Amino acid sequence: MEKSEITERAIKVTCEVLNVTSDMVTPESDFVFDLGAESTQSVQLVAAFDEEFDINMDAEDALEVQTVGDAIEFIEKYVNK
Amino acid sequence: MSEKKKLHPLVEVDEPNFITEAFDYDLPPLIRFDSPVVEYIDGEPVRFDPSGVKTRDIHITDTTFRDGQQARPPYTIDQMVRIYDLMARMSGPNRVIRQTEFFLYTRNDRETLDRCRAMGHSSPECTGWIRAIKGDFRLVKDAQLKETGILTSCSDYHIFSKLKIDRKMAMERYCDVVDAALAAGIRPRCHLEDITRADIDGFVLPFVERLMEMSEQVPDELKVKIRLCDTMGFGISYPGAELPRSIPKLIYKLNVECGVPGDRLEWHGHNDFHKVHTNGGTAWLYGCDAVNTTLFGFGERTGNPPLEAAIFEYIALKGDLCGIDTTAITELADYMRSIGLPIPANYPFVGKHFNTTRAGIHAGGLRQDERIYNIFNTTKLLGRPPRVIITNNSGADGVAIWVNEFFGLTGEDRLNKIKIHRLARWVMDQYEREGRITAIGDEELETKVEELMPEYWEKYKGSRE
Repeated sequence: MEKSEITERAIKVTCEVLNVTSDMVTPESDFVFDLGAESTQSVQLVAAFDEEFDINMDAEDALEVQTVGDAIEFIEKYVNK
Repeated sequence: MSEKKKLHPLVEVDEPNFITEAFDYDLPPLIRFDSPVVEYIDGEPVRFDPSGVKTRDIHITDTTFRDGQQARPPYTIDQMVRIYDLMARMSGPNRVIRQTEFFLYTRNDRETLDRCRAMGHSSPECTGWIRAIKGDFRLVKDAQLKETGILTSCSDYHIFSKLKIDRKMAMERYCDVVDAALAAGIRPRCHLEDITRADIDGFVLPFVERLMEMSEQVPDELKVKIRLCDTMGFGISYPGAELPRSIPKLIYKLNVECGVPGDRLEWHGHNDFHKVHTNGGTAWLYGCDAVNTTLFGFGERTGNPPLEAAIFEYIALKGDLCGIDTTAITELADYMRSIGLPIPANYPFVGKHFNTTRAGIHAGGLRQDERIYNIFNTTKLLGRPPRVIITNNSGADGVAIWVNEFFGLTGEDRLNKIKIHRLARWVMDQYEREGRITAIGDEELETKVEELMPEYWEKYKGSRE
């Protein structure tokens, strides 16, 4: 899968779960500090990425990811394994 | 500012130091000593070796059916027999719970005693409890008991204000009953009531000396035992405390100055100042072999040393389970609850929530390694795995633990918090959107698990039908 498609779909999922608009989301956006994710939403976000990309990320490692850009790279590793 | 005496450089390690010599997870945390204790008695330093408890025959005695029963409506005979049977199982082959005492006054008292003895357990041995009245001796003889407790109050509060006699008359009266016991071939156990408020030099020591003189005339199995009764919970464990409240000094005086050996000394405490358990342990350490207890500390007013706590203290001091079946503690608690004894939810070892956490951050620790927030292997020793209660503070970690426990999942099978995200969301919405202010009960969560996690419900629970 192309990175651009992963980026587009990851941002869509982020907006849905965190209830933010796409213009607020950049690769540098920090899930917690910029987008306001609380702990349960972080868990929901990882679950939503798993579902969207039909992957099964390592939960502990996935929850360590802080920014949207890092999340896209993390997802890419699983998608293009 | 004081001058720094010793530097303490950071010691970086490759492997964590969990101090397992003291914190073996399959045992209660061990109580280890690395030095003697020095107590000044009559101005002279006296050394005590607390580590001696490892080899001494310290043990537990029980008064659930006597002092314990004074604090509640009477047990039925069947209930007492059941409790006794479970106590015997807990006691184990080393007879750690050595004795339990019974009233002898009613037909029910005597039938209970007969049925307990008929079970043939080697421990706890059944003993009696009577007033210091000669007439009460017939009860002990009729019951064919080898030992009985005798109320021998020793403070002036009791002698002058309650019995309305003087010290000489009190001593004579007590000694008459002791004589009668010895003549009948029954070992007297003198309960020195209110000893922590008594004149030690003026009454207690002279009385005990006389009891020891009387004991010289009889065989070993009849020699008088001494129970130190801290009737009002005034006993103090702190080094340097003065008599009559100092437990170390009381035991030293009786043990060394009056010559009562440790195996004939017993501590009986009350919890009026929240000191009851530690005071019992202190008595063990300073030379008194027996600590008298009741199940769940239930006894007169604020209660007595809890038997189950003494069991864990015993194991912690000995460094070994010593054949004790600690799981009987949970069965006893369940049984006591079933017959109406209230046990607070936060009560150590047996309360419904004694190893339950509500905080999400603690739940997170539990999920990673239960040792972080569980006192010992409660699953193994008590049949009680650590639990979480779901509230607004539980977080996804707490919900994940609850779900795994509910499904009975262990090891690799455990679900991580990503898998339970829908349930975690529902929990948070209860508080954030619905304004809930109560904890979420197990039944409510079960319903939600079935609704929000149907794939796992199907896999682990199957159909509800």
